[in-house]
Amino acid sequence: MKKRLIGFVLALLVVMIPIGAIATVSHMTDENKSAVHHEEHQEKSIGSLIEGFYKQTGIYAIFNPQEGAKNALGEEMSTFHQSFGRIIMIGIAFLLFYLAIAKGFEPLLLIPIGFGGLLANIPLANIIGDHGFIGELYKAGIANELFPLLIFMGVGAMTDFGPLLANPKTALLGAAAQFGIFGTLVGAVALSQMGVFDFTLQDAAAISIIGGADGPTSIFIASKLAPDLLGAIAVAAYSYMALVPVIQPPIMRALTTPEERRIKMKTTREVRKLEKILFPLTVLVLTILILPESSPLIGALTFGNFVRESGVVERLSKTMQNELINIVTIFLGLAVGSKLAAEKFLVPETLGILLLGLVAFAIGTAAGVIMGKIMNKFSKEPINPLIGAAGVSAVPMAARVANKEGMREDPTNVLLMHAMGPNVAGVIGSAVAAGVLLSIF
Amino acid sequence: MVLEALKYMVLGMGIVFLFLYLMVVILNWQHKLVEKYFPQKEEPSATPSKRDKLKKVAAITAAIAHMKKSN
Repeated sequence: MKKRLIGFVLALLVVMIPIGAIATVSHMTDENKSAVHHEEHQEKSIGSLIEGFYKQTGIYAIFNPQEGAKNALGEEMSTFHQSFGRIIMIGIAFLLFYLAIAKGFEPLLLIPIGFGGLLANIPLANIIGDHGFIGELYKAGIANELFPLLIFMGVGAMTDFGPLLANPKTALLGAAAQFGIFGTLVGAVALSQMGVFDFTLQDAAAISIIGGADGPTSIFIASKLAPDLLGAIAVAAYSYMALVPVIQPPIMRALTTPEERRIKMKTTREVRKLEKILFPLTVLVLTILILPESSPLIGALTFGNFVRESGVVERLSKTMQNELINIVTIFLGLAVGSKLAAEKFLVPETLGILLLGLVAFAIGTAAGVIMGKIMNKFSKEPINPLIGAAGVSAVPMAARVANKEGMREDPTNVLLMHAMGPNVAGVIGSAVAAGVLLSIF
Repeated sequence: MVLEALKYMVLGMGIVFLFLYLMVVILNWQHKLVEKYFPQKEEPSATPSKRDKLKKVAAITAAIAHMKKSN
């Protein structure tokens, strides 16, 4: 045994020594070369070296904006966007962190988006440009609408459509709430006509989809119709979704009487497993027949849901609900954050987007509640109009708000399961609305 | 342009309602079909519950007997 070991070491030495010798020799020649290389640069004094380095610092870039300097994407930037604009945007990124951490507003998205925005405003680094890592993420998944669809797949795998199947007609509430989208479209176009804003029809459509209260759908549409406005649209959509418990209750209370809020609904029937398995296929077939333009969104949603309900591919379903959606959320957030670069975000349009987005949310909520009142009048079974407000998607936040408002009037009135019906129908509704907008433009 | 947007609104809301209304109709129809051709099997759920009840009764009587003895 010992002999073998010694033999092995000797053999190793025989091989290694020549390799080592060759390496040393070649290294020495390398050193010679670099010495020659070095001599060419020695003309610079230490002062000019330091000055040259100073010109590469963020301090210099922020305080000495240059006329006609280009951003990471090769477009010219104004001096304001190079200097104070960046500082303001970094402040906004910190505001997003504050909202996410201290207030708990959609932290899963606002943290990556905020950090993406922070990185996007670093001067000279070109992180969001061609070869910058966020720029590459943007090209890989937002420019071609891939990431929102993958998120939709995860949403499908996480959503239980049981409450909708138990009482299908509540889907009409989810349809009514989409009025927020189309009502705002008309409003935005009218305001542009009057000269308040300067939005094209495409821009107006991309903004009004915020009323669908669905992050991935908003990003999907914005990246197709108005990529320049994507940052503001995504931030508005996710912020307002987080603000649902603040925005919706006053509208819901204003449109309903206490008696209406106290209406109790029949307990929902039990839903069979077979119905749940058939549901995604039924919706997909309907999409194919009526609106193939929505089939990327609805296709991804129904695929995720089919994987969930089929019950035989637990592993895939778990992956979509957790790992896949988490990874894509990180990429999506960072890539959307790249649109928070000062020259894209600090433009007058952003204010208009934030304002119109809020209006879209409010109109959607109101339309859902009013539809709830109408259905309550004509339906045999009582329908609490509060659940109409859950028709704007924002799953499951909007349904929880409807439940909470019902409990305020009557603590024994549990509306959660009833509100989940219009809530999940709202997801399908906004995907259909998105398809309609895509088919127009 | 506003007129154009109004047309989009009518078309959009029309299609969203049509889609979801058709969905409602088809889902109700699907529910009926499922109930008709794949009726719920009631028996397997009923028998074990009877057996369970008996088991519970036995457990309770045993417990009472045990308590009486220990007293």
